[in-house]
Amino acid sequence: MIKKILIANRGEIAVRIIRACREMGIQTVAVYSEADREALHAKLADEAICIGEAPASESYLSMERIISAAVVSGADAVHPGFGFLSENSRFADLCRQCGIIFVGPPAEVIEKLGNKQEARKTMIAAGVPVVPGTEEALEDCGAAFLAAERIGYPIMIKAALGGGGKGMREVYDPADFEECFKTAQKEAQNGFGDGRMYLERLVKNPRHIEFQILADSYGNVVHLGERDCSIQRNHQKLIEEAPSMVLTEKMRDEMGEAAVKAAKAAGYVNAGTIEFLLDKENHFYFMEMNTRIQVEHPVTEWVTGVDLVKAQIKIAAGEKLEFAQKDIKIQGHAIECRINAENPEKGFRPSPGTIEDLYLPGGKGIRIDTAVYSGYTIPVYYDSMIAKLIVWGKGRKEAIRKMQSALGEVIIEGVDTNVDYQYEILHDQDYLDGNIDVEFIRRFSGG
Amino acid sequence: MKLDNMFKKSQVSAVENRERELKSEVPEGLLRKCNLCKKVILTEDVENGYYICPKCGGYYHMPAMERIRMIADEGSFEEWDAEMRPVNPMRYKGYLDKLKLQQEKTGLREAVVTGKAKIDGSDVVLGVCDGRFLMASMGQNVGEKIARAVEKATEMRLPVVMFACSGGARMQEGIVSLMQMAKTSAALKRHSEAGLLYISVLTDPTTGGVTASFAMLGDIILAEPGALIGFAGPRVIEQTIGQKLPKGFQRSEFLLAHGFLDGIVERKQLRDTLSRILKLHGTQRLSGEKGASDRTAKESVGAGSKSALAGGVSAGVRNRDIAEERYKKDKKRILSEKLSVQAGIKKKRLEAWDRVLKSRKSDRPSGSDYIRALFTDFIEFHGDRYFGDDAAVVGGVARFHGMPVTVIAQEKGKGTKENIAHNFGMPKPEGYRKALRLMKQAEKFCRPVICFVDTPGAFCGIEAEERGQGEAIARNIYEMSALSVPVLSVVVGEGGSGGALALAVSDEVWILENAVYSILSPEGFSSILWKDSSKAKEAAKVMKITAENLYKQHIVEQVFEEPEEFTAENIDVVTEKMDGEMLAFLEKYGALSKEELREHRYRRFRSM
Repeated sequence: MIKKILIANRGEIAVRIIRACREMGIQTVAVYSEADREALHAKLADEAICIGEAPASESYLSMERIISAAVVSGADAVHPGFGFLSENSRFADLCRQCGIIFVGPPAEVIEKLGNKQEARKTMIAAGVPVVPGTEEALEDCGAAFLAAERIGYPIMIKAALGGGGKGMREVYDPADFEECFKTAQKEAQNGFGDGRMYLERLVKNPRHIEFQILADSYGNVVHLGERDCSIQRNHQKLIEEAPSMVLTEKMRDEMGEAAVKAAKAAGYVNAGTIEFLLDKENHFYFMEMNTRIQVEHPVTEWVTGVDLVKAQIKIAAGEKLEFAQKDIKIQGHAIECRINAENPEKGFRPSPGTIEDLYLPGGKGIRIDTAVYSGYTIPVYYDSMIAKLIVWGKGRKEAIRKMQSALGEVIIEGVDTNVDYQYEILHDQDYLDGNIDVEFIRRFSGG
Repeated sequence: MKLDNMFKKSQVSAVENRERELKSEVPEGLLRKCNLCKKVILTEDVENGYYICPKCGGYYHMPAMERIRMIADEGSFEEWDAEMRPVNPMRYKGYLDKLKLQQEKTGLREAVVTGKAKIDGSDVVLGVCDGRFLMASMGQNVGEKIARAVEKATEMRLPVVMFACSGGARMQEGIVSLMQMAKTSAALKRHSEAGLLYISVLTDPTTGGVTASFAMLGDIILAEPGALIGFAGPRVIEQTIGQKLPKGFQRSEFLLAHGFLDGIVERKQLRDTLSRILKLHGTQRLSGEKGASDRTAKESVGAGSKSALAGGVSAGVRNRDIAEERYKKDKKRILSEKLSVQAGIKKKRLEAWDRVLKSRKSDRPSGSDYIRALFTDFIEFHGDRYFGDDAAVVGGVARFHGMPVTVIAQEKGKGTKENIAHNFGMPKPEGYRKALRLMKQAEKFCRPVICFVDTPGAFCGIEAEERGQGEAIARNIYEMSALSVPVLSVVVGEGGSGGALALAVSDEVWILENAVYSILSPEGFSSILWKDSSKAKEAAKVMKITAENLYKQHIVEQVFEEPEEFTAENIDVVTEKMDGEMLAFLEKYGALSKEELREHRYRRFRSM
């Protein structure tokens, strides 16, 4: 039985977890940095402990201090939220060593899934589709050409130590392969002093579709449907929705089954997310597994009726899942917009500062998860997401209308936000038509 | 809006709260407090992170076995003399019990662990002190283990690497403990006389009798940053003199500045640095007893040389004849080349004074530029081991086409800040003494010496005289004349008088087209002889200080052409040619025996 949880996080997710705990009759301990003395999570929790200076490395990332705070406050469990230490296997292990429940999967599972190559191998072994590619690095152009034939075109050539587009080439025609491989390899050789290359099938303009799963300690795994998170800027998600309008019931079952298989193969326990790429021909490929609660979890909560944070805590306490796959029904359509304190006109530059005035919409089908309030000062040290606006409608069209209306009501004075930018996306014809993929923002911004 | 105490808290009865048993606790040893920054840290991070505080970067004392794990190749360490019978020479009460307690606490038998290991493939004899064991003080068994290890190293012709850390002599063993200083030092002397390398690494703290014996006797002495190193402890000094000691006193950085360390090396870089030094000193030496170093000289210097002399030349007389013959031949070669060189110089006729100005130009390549352009793997070594480290002289070991060489350069630095740091290339006595120390080491390890001369002159000042500037220059000239390894000097900028000659008593002296070499600066010359320093321009002409003049007077053997605007950017134009000539020089002189080399150098200056 968990009676007291320490929340090793800040911002809206810390508030979200505190609220879930209160509903469950669990006492809460917040930890905060010196920059977060006035933060909502610190005020809302039953106890609050200052764990260090403003930089995250000195506070929210300091395993030693958080463990000490948990022991001193007598917390039975630590909920890591997302970001910070949430996917740190060492932290999970330290909690275990100190007799504290870590609300998340076991350390070994985090470790295994955090390693890209190993996660890929696990999935291949479990029969979960992955983007076809070479398992081992190649140096010889001839051997690479043969491998490319096996994998199928178009193909992506990637340097083993690559980054920033260097040593990368897209090849559409086998006739271009040799030249592309050699120039990419030369780039890699010059850039990183390493000429080992990987090949991977190029998945052109895919959708980002992810499946939420829940797994208890007794081997029961269910999926809670998908989220379409294709609207992203520089790999930062902006808008998420559930369900995805391109998945048929059959595909949902198929992908959901793959997700469950993936979770089982990894020995997964607690809430997790399996990310897939979905190409234009509806082929899907495993990308990675996130071993934590996601920012966008509310859209799944709304279309399934499951409180994911509560479910996490119950699983961590050793309870069995209260439902089976057949009990999960997707109802209606939910959309989430992330509201960030940033200026889209100035290259999305973060805009910390004091919120002078704040008005947030409400009413049926509207949910706001936030940690800001009027007079609150957003510190410069942490990320710029200040609120999540989530709406629910019977169908996608109704949900979009509701989101348009709600965004139009948001008033945040004192700092710049991306509300107007989001508002414009919500009126974009492609978005309205559901014509979206991971390149949407590039096209939308005219880039 | 202030939110203090605005929200309702969970209602949990006080009784329920009190009844809660605390299930969680931090297991013993999981966390520890840094004794430097006082922050709580994970023990595991310390153990996996070189025993360095992950928060403040401070160094902790390392257990000997951890040190060996960090330095030696995995599984390569073979411990020697692990079991020693405890001794109690003074029958000091409770001493043996104390030893026993220490043994149980540390899992060690004594305060030093010795044995054989490989460092990145190089065989070494390794000794590591462990400060947990009675402050790693040196008693009979510690001294005995070190002496035996060094003796074995001598026998096996292996280098020795010692990690020192000690409070000093072991008081409980009285005078016997003092004698260990002599015992260890004597063993090291024999090791050194066998031409073998000893690297001493000083860690926090190295004090007392250990500092005054094996710790300070390394051919190369390295230290970890911030380590306390001294003979008398700081507290004792403070009590004795009744003064507060300045911050940083007796720390590694203080010792480096005072000339007692070759370098300070971060713990993470230690293994790599040791490996590089060991490789530069060629651990795989020839195993022959007598004359091994002679042969090594030829191996290392004249690699690939087809010299007919390589064999049985030993008689002094014959040596001299041959050397003389060679020297005459050289002169012929020089004469035949003279025309072409002159032609080279002729095409852009400059006044002597113009060349003086060129030689002083601030963007001209400096000594370090030549080191970078011509050599690889350069490791700089610091200090004269007497007083200081002079930045006007940069020296160390490097590779030239793979062969280890000792490189010494006078360095002016670039830009005002660097100029000041390098004292405008004007060495103090400690600079010359450092150079000599490095040359003597080159001789011990049979490496050729290559010097780059670029100085307005030896530093002129009170402290330079106090420390014997004249003596330092004289000593260099005196010792260089008889070095038994090839010595080459290249005047690359200003060759200012005795300050230049102290690095130029060489087998050959080369000069760059617009470098100068003179008895005095033209300004000084005109002021002494004509009582008018403004006539420097005329003086430059009269003094015959240009490369062309020097070549004609047989002061230099080669002149290297320079590009019109000569900077570090286009240094290649000069160094590419120099590289080929250097290779030829090393092949030629590397083939000579020690006696021939000395004789040749003697003749060179004897004939002037």
